[in-house]
Amino acid sequence: MSVLDQAPAGAHAATTSPATRIREHARVRPRAVALRDKHLGVWRPWTWAHYWDQVELVGHALLARGVQPGDRVAIHSENRPEWLVADMGALAVRAASVGLYPSNPAAEVGYLLADSGAVVLVAEDQEQVDKALEVLAQGGAPALRTIVYVEPRGVRGRYEATYGQATLVSWEDFLAEGVQHRETHPGAVDALTDAARPDDLATLIYTSGTTGPPKGAMLTVANVEFAIKVLCEEGGFTSPPPGPDDLLLSYLPLSHVAERIFTTWFNAAAATQVCFAESIDTVPQDLREVQPTILFGVPRIWEKLLAGVETRLTGATRFKRLSTRYWLKRASAIAAAVEANGGEHTRATRLQYALGWLFCYRSLTERLGMRRVRHATSGAAPIAPEVLTFFSSIGVPMHEAYGMTENTAVATSAKPGRIRLGTVGEAHRGVEVRIDEQTGEILTRHAGVFAGYWGRPEATAEVLDPDGWLHTGDVGEWVDGSFLKITDRMKDIIITAGGKNISPSQIENELKASPYVKEALVVGDGRTYLTALIGIELDTVGEWAQRQRLGYSTLRDLTEKPEVVELLTTVVDDVNSRLASVEQVKVFRLLPKELDHEDGELTASQKVKRAAVVAAFDDLVESMYDGRPAAATGAQR
Amino acid sequence: MSTKVTGRPAFFQSYGQELALFNTRPKKVGVALVVLVAVLGPFFLQDPLLRTLSLAFVFAIGALGLNMVTGLAGQVSLGHAFFVGIGAYTAAAISGDPDARTIGFGVQEMWVWLPAAGIVAALFGVLVAPIATRLRGLYLAIVTLGLVFLGEHVFREWSSLTGGAGVGRSAADPVLFGFDFSQSSSDSSFTGPQQLYSLMLALLLVFALAARNIGRSKVGRSFAAVRDRDMAAEMMGIDLPRAKTLAFALSSFYAGCAGALLYTISGFFDPGSFSLLLSVQFIAMVLIGGAGTVGGTIAGALFVSLLPTLSRELPRFLTFLSSSPAETPNVFQVEQILYGLLIVVFLLFEPRGLYGIWVRLRTYWKSWPFSY
Repeated sequence: MSVLDQAPAGAHAATTSPATRIREHARVRPRAVALRDKHLGVWRPWTWAHYWDQVELVGHALLARGVQPGDRVAIHSENRPEWLVADMGALAVRAASVGLYPSNPAAEVGYLLADSGAVVLVAEDQEQVDKALEVLAQGGAPALRTIVYVEPRGVRGRYEATYGQATLVSWEDFLAEGVQHRETHPGAVDALTDAARPDDLATLIYTSGTTGPPKGAMLTVANVEFAIKVLCEEGGFTSPPPGPDDLLLSYLPLSHVAERIFTTWFNAAAATQVCFAESIDTVPQDLREVQPTILFGVPRIWEKLLAGVETRLTGATRFKRLSTRYWLKRASAIAAAVEANGGEHTRATRLQYALGWLFCYRSLTERLGMRRVRHATSGAAPIAPEVLTFFSSIGVPMHEAYGMTENTAVATSAKPGRIRLGTVGEAHRGVEVRIDEQTGEILTRHAGVFAGYWGRPEATAEVLDPDGWLHTGDVGEWVDGSFLKITDRMKDIIITAGGKNISPSQIENELKASPYVKEALVVGDGRTYLTALIGIELDTVGEWAQRQRLGYSTLRDLTEKPEVVELLTTVVDDVNSRLASVEQVKVFRLLPKELDHEDGELTASQKVKRAAVVAAFDDLVESMYDGRPAAATGAQR
Repeated sequence: MSTKVTGRPAFFQSYGQELALFNTRPKKVGVALVVLVAVLGPFFLQDPLLRTLSLAFVFAIGALGLNMVTGLAGQVSLGHAFFVGIGAYTAAAISGDPDARTIGFGVQEMWVWLPAAGIVAALFGVLVAPIATRLRGLYLAIVTLGLVFLGEHVFREWSSLTGGAGVGRSAADPVLFGFDFSQSSSDSSFTGPQQLYSLMLALLLVFALAARNIGRSKVGRSFAAVRDRDMAAEMMGIDLPRAKTLAFALSSFYAGCAGALLYTISGFFDPGSFSLLLSVQFIAMVLIGGAGTVGGTIAGALFVSLLPTLSRELPRFLTFLSSSPAETPNVFQVEQILYGLLIVVFLLFEPRGLYGIWVRLRTYWKSWPFSY
């Protein structure tokens, strides 16, 4: 089944890798568009020929800088063509890439560079260069020899006195070194690309590390190729499989395995066209312009888009608002009727949908930039079913997928026409998924399971059985035989003083489905009842406050308004009404600040570090259990 | 291979795409429909209305010229009537009968006198431009106003060319390759007004297309830059005197052509026609239509030209109004008041003109189901 079988050890059959795939595209379709980036208001195309040429030049430049097969090349940048070029350039010379999150503060950059032992760092701009130089000044990252900066602004001519061309080099000069090396060593990169082995390290992907320091998951060429085969070529994530006519928007960090699949590997395997968003803040605008056909988002993105619809509707004229509200209500009714009919439209629902399409759904999806989306995927974290239904009811085919870095994101996904809300779908073809009888933990086994954590054999042994089963750390159960339902992260399960096992993430997602809630953290391990820390969404609550003519200065000020507490009480009450008594949130407090990566409350991929947040807001948590009457904040029901 | 991305109106891959003549399909289809209706006009409209419409088309050509200097380049010109007059007399003189009492050279072909009228008017525009480039706003308006009075005086006194005040002369004949559009054809399948309407429509389409293309060219964009802030435009490397001169020349060319065509429909004109009132009419067209846009200007020209047709109906409803110019109050006075009133009302409430109303309507539906 695996790629390993196709290329038995010792044979000289060339190994396919994303790099060889790009080279092949450059040969077959040199003038077709591979990538697009927005430059001064215009989506500038990069052809396949140009893409491979740049990849080859980076490969040569890396060789010129003495990079050996197996070395690590770190990339610290927002999504842009150079990210892919650097990643694939490293792969082409059998080196491995390490992606750093643009939001990583200097201390974490130092940790990641030292842990991975990267010899070359591609840093996007002055901000990232400064972080790396800080690390160098403190003597961290002894292996790092070269920093390549992509944006010269603020860097060129400033550090040259301190750091010579040998340490700090601009992207143009780096490519020029590649040109020179190519002239003196023609075919050197090609030879290395062809010499690639399936067990070559392709990339190190650092896990977000909600509990401890991040660990680097080693993904080999065979892992990547297996993921490509299952998720792309067999339509595991997008069915029917992606092709050259598909447009994707790349906007989530490429240091995360999910975005790497949708951007880099889909593009290399199926020649999809990747458009790079200008920044994470311009995503709604970019979506509207690009109108992608395949869209991947994390729950936070879908929630935010949904909240955006809500906010803009309240700001619309009366007629538009009433009309859209009506049709959105119809949409959920239609969705319910279709669901009751076994997933098939009846004549009545089809007619209603057609009318609604004319008056609302067509224009709404167009405005959201999802008019042409043929397959939308949510993954990387649990999502509330309400959010999924909203998008699928207006005609965006939503699918949930499940996977993790350690299995190259290959596990399960909802397939078109076979969707069970609240589950993450069925196992991909040729992938083994089972649930441990004793612990309820989900285990997976396939050729995409990683080679281990970089430099941590003991951590690897904890999650990887000798017979190849990967312990995901998630607890789940089967629904209707083949659909996997994730209960929660194993270590997040709350056991109340009454001995009840409660999954906090489901309650949290119900809360986060409200446009006013950005973060929710259910607490109650070993306590008599559940409580919650809630972070409000500044945009929507701020807008709500303005409409109520409520003056406020900061987020903290807003959270202390009794009216705002009242508003959130209705949200919590609404969620509670759908929950069993033991699962109900009895008391809540509003977080007085936004959770932040720099303060160590979120991971780089914006996941909440529970222990850190509970520790930081210890006084708030304790105040909910003191037995004192709830003061201005929160209400006991 | 798939380098082209279709069906995504906001997805620009090059600046050329953004500057395209019709950058979206609805625009293309909409314009095609309007043109189709206009072309079919002669088959379902009566001759008097066709005559009014042909006149409106010619006014539209003139208004496009004013739009170029005022709407696009932002230089207020009250002297448009002067350039229209130059064009009218140039054309009439070239095509006029050599044996008549007024100057005439007997070259009846339109392809000679039409461009000649435009070029002579443009030359006068270039002559005026050096003064205009040194002035801005109100001062420029006053200077161009002076042109109208100079013109009126010369036209009145030079009776060998113009026939003199109150007498006038015959206008150029719309003859193309020996075919006179104003006479019904020999087999009388089409009447004169039908043929004139078609001719003027065709000419308007040519001039409108040219105006739109000038507007999106480097020259047109430099005009817009001058309008928005002349100093900033200069900083961007735009040669201000050159841009302004070019704007006046192009505008006068349009005015000259419009002048040449304007009186072919009635066949006769008087030197008193080129008064301030004509200039104001053109300004009303541009402002009511929507300064700076081709579609808006044409709509404004049609609206203002058809206004008399509508106001002539007023005495039927308002019995105190007379339809005779000798009595007071009469419809002609009401018409003039209406021009002024409309300009005031539009500038106060809809500064972007009819086009602005259209844009607002379009935005309402484009932003559906939101408001922004």
